[in-house]
This record gives sequence, structure tokens and C-alpha cells, in this order.
Amino acid sequence: MPKLIAMQPKRLGAIAAATIMLAAFGGAEALAASPRATENKMILVARQDPGTLDYVTSNLTALRLWIPSNVVEPLVYFEKDGTVTPGVAESWTISDDRLTYVFTIREAKFSNGAPLTVEDVIYSLNTMKSSPVLQNSAAYNAVTAIEKVDDRTVKVTLSRPSQAFWAGMGSTAGLIQPEAAAGSIATDPIGTGPYKLVKYTTNSAFEFTANPEYWGPAPAIKDVTVRIVTDGTAGLNALEAGEVDAIPVNTIDLWEQLVKREFDKKFTLVTDPQIGEPTYAVINQKIDPELRQAIAGTLDRQAYNDAFGAAWGAENTCTFALPNQPWYQPENAESCPYPYDLEGAMKTILEKGFNTLPLEYASLSDVPDLSLPADIMVPTLQAAGLNVTRNAIDLARYSQLIFQGRPPQFDITVMSGDAEPGQWSCPTPDKAGWSTYCSADYTDALAQADVATSDEEYLALMQKAADILRKDAVIVPLIAKKGVGLFDVDLKGFTEPKVAVAVELRALHW
Amino acid sequence: MTIYVLRKLAFFVGAVLVASLAIFLLIRGAGGNVAAIVLGKDATADAINALAHTYGLDRPLPVQYVDWIMNMLSGDLGQSFRTKESVADLVTDRLSVSVPLALSGLLLGLIIAIPVGTYAARNVGRPSGALLALLSQIGVAVPVFWAGILLSVLFGVRLGWLPTGGWTDWTADPVGAVRSLVLPVLSLGLIMAAVLIRYIRSAVLDVMNQDYVRTARAVGMTRTQALLQVGLRNALLPIVTIVGLQIAELIGGTVIIEMVFSLPGLSRMILANVAAREVIVVQSTVMLIIVFVIFVNFVVDLLYGILDPRIRNSA
Repeated sequence: MPKLIAMQPKRLGAIAAATIMLAAFGGAEALAASPRATENKMILVARQDPGTLDYVTSNLTALRLWIPSNVVEPLVYFEKDGTVTPGVAESWTISDDRLTYVFTIREAKFSNGAPLTVEDVIYSLNTMKSSPVLQNSAAYNAVTAIEKVDDRTVKVTLSRPSQAFWAGMGSTAGLIQPEAAAGSIATDPIGTGPYKLVKYTTNSAFEFTANPEYWGPAPAIKDVTVRIVTDGTAGLNALEAGEVDAIPVNTIDLWEQLVKREFDKKFTLVTDPQIGEPTYAVINQKIDPELRQAIAGTLDRQAYNDAFGAAWGAENTCTFALPNQPWYQPENAESCPYPYDLEGAMKTILEKGFNTLPLEYASLSDVPDLSLPADIMVPTLQAAGLNVTRNAIDLARYSQLIFQGRPPQFDITVMSGDAEPGQWSCPTPDKAGWSTYCSADYTDALAQADVATSDEEYLALMQKAADILRKDAVIVPLIAKKGVGLFDVDLKGFTEPKVAVAVELRALHW
Repeated sequence: MTIYVLRKLAFFVGAVLVASLAIFLLIRGAGGNVAAIVLGKDATADAINALAHTYGLDRPLPVQYVDWIMNMLSGDLGQSFRTKESVADLVTDRLSVSVPLALSGLLLGLIIAIPVGTYAARNVGRPSGALLALLSQIGVAVPVFWAGILLSVLFGVRLGWLPTGGWTDWTADPVGAVRSLVLPVLSLGLIMAAVLIRYIRSAVLDVMNQDYVRTARAVGMTRTQALLQVGLRNALLPIVTIVGLQIAELIGGTVIIEMVFSLPGLSRMILANVAAREVIVVQSTVMLIIVFVIFVNFVVDLLYGILDPRIRNSA
């Protein structure tokens, strides 16, 4: 008997260990339904922490994914089919000469209970007009006056027609906030949206709940937590374990893992160009045009696409745009003035003596989306005979040397970001123009497009601008990445964002 | 003993001052500024300079340093440029994660390491002693992030017993908070135990070979009695040293565990703020950690004096 008693713990231990091993390394089980479905909740994952929620002074994607349209609304919404629907403005009129916009503000309350007033609208528009963020202030370049007509009406007067102004009223430039709460915008932004922010803890989570003051139908899911999980694998583990219900935006460093771990089969995988970004090489304009063209010829777009390991995630392109922009073109003979031709590039480099020229490749080291292209591009350029060195730096140092450096201290770099073509127009007193790129023809084409009074005219001019940009071989697009989201199979209703890249929580439902 | 304590106190104050200057210069020397990061790539130099002026970053460096030190001395740790939150509040919030994580990890490490390290020393030359030495060597070689990921996959994804990561606030759900900490504490504690086992084994072995232990055995004490009554005090000296160093490392050095388990702890906060060049948040928080580390070393030095009269008398 004593012998039996002595053996029991060992046996129990062995049984427990065997159970754990079986459960741990046995086949994957079918995923259970989310417990949040019955509680009217959902938990999402964000990969980055914005650090501040002040959308007036910051345009970080990590912020724009969650606050616009969910908490703070613009005056109007632009739908996918091009129609315009009411936001903070319940109606509007546009004069025939497109110089006067009159907005009728709806009777509504902000999420803090304060009434929405014309004064708040005027304050918000003026604040965005003087925003240091180009995407916000650029919408107001043609605006000469923002005036109160009566207690529910605001009139905006323009000096010339402006496509950018009208588009801005449906984007972050048109977000409306209460003047009285402006002081706490960095941690507690207030708006008229379907959700209100309950708490934002940096590096931890956003917590939203349905806004009881919302003017529209209440959102289907009442409580939403957005957990900030900067480690991509940890986020995927949480999704697989059923602790979270979706990762609406997966960065490219995870794509290969999504396929290998079969997340695309176990969850609803959504690809969406609206949340996507173009990835592009920037070659300093001071560099000889022939060398720029030769460098462009070393770029094998398919190699970059293959490196991300997911055929559904990106398209090869030579056009600085995303597939949902009408002037976008995928990679083809017509739209690629400098197609991949390594031998041709090597010949030019040797013949012109470019191989002796020292070049610096500035690599943004703390952004995974950009490390991978650098890993491919630098060895390729070296193999092509160029004397390239890689300078790996973090975002703060990159900002100092390149975005704010005068002149910017780089020869070649790779960027990923907004597909806004206006960022490559020539520098003005309001805009720094970090890329060094300045083409009068390109800037003129964009300016003409802005004053276009018909969609056809606008499209033709944007196509012309895109063509000028790619032929100059300063901004050299590689791929157009799509937004890639993973959702619990029971979580439905994902729609393409209407305001910039915001994930529309209101549309989601169990 | 008084002179010994006063000398250590003088060293403590001097070290804090040198450390404050070092951290101030290091964060400023890293380049870049928070205004440029907040405003993004298209901001003009004028806009950046204006925001930097609002933050007070355009003042001469000596003025900023003295201002910061004086504020620190008056108990004002400053505030975040971007969110206007007070650094004291930010740190307090994060300590509710970092302190239980660090202390529990250390405690678990000690609970495992002391008996196992002693057992390994007492069984040196035997298969069980060799096996424990080998296991601790493997534990030392395992990166903490790898241990964390494995534990997360095993107990979180596969077994579903514990959360794979994330944090539940103490005030919202204390049980949830404890569950959030179990796997991070296990990861930290197991790796720490592996390190400590080697030190404890070595210290105990060293003591057991001393003449005074042999003498104690000769007068009739068992090995355990000799170790506990005669050898323990001497064996504690190197153990106290390594535990002191581990405590210091744990408070600010759990960044990898906090990343793997998505915990909003102090280390992760510092890392994010270094990247954003939130100089006041970084300076004040790192300064607090440095003061704590130096304080721990000060306590360790005092313990030396208590444990070993030769040290106290030589001072």
C-alpha cells in the first residue's frame, strides 16, 4: 500500500503531462463561437499605439483607424458608389460655380451631452484649416470665409472651385468637435459618432461604448474593446485562442504567417484597398535622371510581392495610387516606363560610370513593412554594380534627417503611406516637400485637377499627373498593398471605410 | 557602521546626479524630436519649430536640464507633450502591472532556485546533480521571449487555460488581472530561476568546501546542519548580490515579456516614448528607475555590512 501511495503522484503527473501534450500538440480543434457574441461585445486588435488621439495635429494611421467616423464625424460621408450622404450636416447646397457651400447642421448632441452648435462647426473647420497636418489644411487652400448664417447654417466661401475641399468635408479635414472639449482631444476626443470613447490607455487599449446621444440608429454591438498588441504573433495567438474577435488590419510582416497557419481558412479574410498603402522607392531628385531610371530598372516588383508571401495582399504597380483610385493602373507595358531590366540597368551603370558613385540607402528600421523591401533592394542594387550602403535608422532620426532635413540626407529610400498624390507637388510655404521632388508640370496638373468641374475632367488630369510622376523616376511605385483583415466567421458586416482608413465599428454585427 | 552608511549614502547621491546628466544627454543626443514626429513628414520647419517652442524644447539645454531637475526635486515629474498626461500618473498606472510582474517573477525564481540550487550543490557528481546543472544551463540559454511565446502557445492557444496576452485592470477584475500575469510571471520566473540556480549551486558548493564547514561536520553536525548553521551566512553574500542585480533589471528590463504578452507595463511605456522622443516622460521615468536601482544597490551594500563584519569593519 505505501508503495502504491508513493506511485500515485507520479502516475497523476504522467497522466497530466500526457493530457497537456495531447491537447497542446494534437490537431487543431474547430473554433468555438465567441462568448462576446451573446454579450453584445467585441474585442479587436490594433497593431500600433498612436500615443495621441489629437487628429488635428497628428495623421498617424494608428489614430485614424479608430477615431474618425466612430467617435468624431465629418460633415458628410462619401459612399463607395460616389454618392454623398449626411454626416454632421443633414443637408447642403453647392452653388453652380462651386464657390459657395451651405451646410445645414443637424439637431444633435455630442457624446458628452453638449448640443452640437454652428459655433462648434465653425471652430472645427477653422481648426482644421490651420492644422499642421497637410491632409487636413490642404482641403482649405481655396477657402476664403467660414461664416454663420443662422443657428443651424454655415456658409463656406471659396476663391476657386476645389475638389480637395469637397473631398475633405468627407474626410478628416471635415471632422467636427465641440470647442469646449478641445483641450482634452489628445486623450478624450468627443464627437457625434455612433460610439464614444470610454477610455484610452496608451500601449494597452481603446474602450468604446455605443453613444447614447447618437443621432442615427444605435450600432449593433454595444461595447467594443480595441486591444493594442504590437507583437504580431501575439495578436494572431490571441485570435486563434478566441480571446479577440478580429484583427482588422494586418501588416505585411504577418501575411506569410497567415497563410502558413491557415488563418485565411479558419477566419473570414477581407482584403480592402481603402485601408491599403502604396509601397514605393524614392530616389533623390538630385541624382542623375539616367541613374534614377537605371535604379528603377533594377526593381523586380514580383520579387517584392512574392516576399510578402500572400498573393491576395498586394498588386504590382508603377502608378502611385491604390486600386480604388480611378487613375490607378496595375503593372503593364503601357503604364511602366522603366520595367524590370537588370541587365539593361547594369549596362547603363557601367557605361556611365555610376558604379563609382557612393549612394546611401536610408532604411526605416522600426517599421516592419519597410525592412523587407530594404532587404531585397540593397543587395539588388549592389549586384547591379552600384556602391550602395544601408543606413538603418529609427523613425525619430529618419524624421530629422529626411523629412525635416534641408536638404534631406538620403539618396534612395523606400516608403509606404498615404496614396495622396498632392504630397508630391512642389513645396510651398505650407508644405515641406521632404522628397526633394518638384515638377512644375506635375504640380500644374494637380492644380488643374483640383479646379475641375466634372468627374471626367478631373480623372483625365489625375491620369496626366500620374504619368508625369512615373516618368520622372523619383517616386517609383513597387506594389499597392491592400488592407488585410481577419474576422471571426460569425462577425459580419465589414465595409470599406468612408472616412480615410477608419474601421467602421458601427457596421459590424454578430 | 555609521561611516560605512554615510559613505554609501554619499555614493548614492553622486550616482543619481551623474545618472541624471547621462540620461538627459543620451536622450537629447539620439536626435529627432517629438514635434517632428507628431506633425509627420509634410510638416514645415516653421510648424515644427512652433510646436517645439510650445513644448519648451527650443530653450538652451542647460536651462532644460536644471528646470527638469528642479521640478523633479519638487515632486513634479512633468507631463507628456502629446497627451498632457502627468508622468507621475503614467508611471503609477504602469507600476500596477510592472511591480507585481517583477516581484512575482523574482519570488517564483527564488522559490525554485534556492532548493534546487542547494540540492544540485549537495548532489554534485551524482546524476541528479548533473541533470539539474544541465537543465539550468539550458534555461540560461533560452531567450525569455521564446519561453514566453512557447508558454503562450501551449497554455493560451492550445489548452485555452490562460490568456495569451493582454491586460485586465485590477480595479475591473482582480482575478482577470492575476490570470493576465500568470504566463508572464512563469516566463520570467523560470528563466530567472535557471540563472539563480547556477549562482546558488556555486555559492553553496564553495561554502561546503570551506574548512569551517568541514570542522562543523567533524564535531558531529550533519551536512544540512553544517550548511544551515555555519555555511549559509557566507553563501548568502553572492546570492544577495545577484538578487539585487536581478531586481534592478526586472523593474525596467521586462520589455520583451511586456511586448510578448501585450502588457501595459513600465518598460513598454519607456520604449514607446523613446521612439516618440517624449523626452520628459523618458527622462523622468528612467530617472525613477535609476534611483530605484541605485537604492537597491545601496541596500545590498548595507546587507553586506550586516552579513559580513569584515566588510563593515574595513569601511
